[in-house]
Amino acid sequence: MSGHHISSDKTLLGVAGALFILTVLTVGVHYVHIPDPWSIIVAMGIAIFKATLVALFFMNLYWDDRFNLMLFLASIAFFILLVGLTLLDTLFRTDVVPGF
Amino acid sequence: MANHSSSTHSKFLQHHFVDAEQQFDSAKMGMWVFLVTEILFFGGLFAAYIVYRLWYPELFTLASEELNTLWGGVNTVVLIGSSLTVAMAIKSAQLNQKKNIAINLGITLALAAVFMVIKYFEWTHKFHLGIFPGEFYAFEGIDHPKANVFFSLYYLMTGLHGIHVVIGIGLMIWLLLRSMKGHFDSEYYTPVEITGLYWHLVDIIWIFLFPLFYLID
Repeated sequence: MSGHHISSDKTLLGVAGALFILTVLTVGVHYVHIPDPWSIIVAMGIAIFKATLVALFFMNLYWDDRFNLMLFLASIAFFILLVGLTLLDTLFRTDVVPGF
Repeated sequence: MANHSSSTHSKFLQHHFVDAEQQFDSAKMGMWVFLVTEILFFGGLFAAYIVYRLWYPELFTLASEELNTLWGGVNTVVLIGSSLTVAMAIKSAQLNQKKNIAINLGITLALAAVFMVIKYFEWTHKFHLGIFPGEFYAFEGIDHPKANVFFSLYYLMTGLHGIHVVIGIGLMIWLLLRSMKGHFDSEYYTPVEITGLYWHLVDIIWIFLFPLFYLID
């Protein structure tokens, strides 16, 4: 609950190292060509994990006032709502909109 | 100044705040509210991407071949590195290591520039092939009637992200100049903190753009 948490070099370098390794991993997995639908699931899983690391430790949400974490999670919730409601339409059409 | 309980009197403290602490927390919360709008700003494009990918999955697999995985990967590493140096700049301010603030901001700036240079070569290479967004699309190499749709999304999403990187470069220059004037220390580093938050979000957006465009099986 501190607005002025000071991250140690060890934490920052450790998080950056993990992000580099995960980047290499996601490229490596791409060349393995795992069958559908798993390739996108694995790729997004790694991306979500990386984004979580950045948000928690680089953006300080792990130590910060919980209100800021709530704001961040709310934005994700509304994004899911946006996509979910849109897909309720687009996934159940007989014809894709002509022209585009 | 009767109701001011602050022990610190930073010259950057505005009179309408009780103390530097309240000013810092307000600024940070304000930045988070702005980042929420940013997430939803990009979110609209991500929603469009999801809709079209579900409509034309085979198009995305085909068109993704035109993107260079190596350079996309290099740019991912470059942005993660720049996020690290921003976090280091903030830590340097908190520890009163004034010289290190400028050094870390300088490295961040250089990495952001590298990102944009790579982006420039990626885009111009595509323009050269006739790969333009929407109705300007004139490339014969992808056997799919909707190939232009993929590249419209590609240019819109990497373009909006690129604009954010350019704005970030401007902010980094501003911070670098101020840090050279010695404005930032453990008592006052609010601009470094909130620019850092912005920069990390730009990094997060790229962390998703990279697999969604470059790593489609």
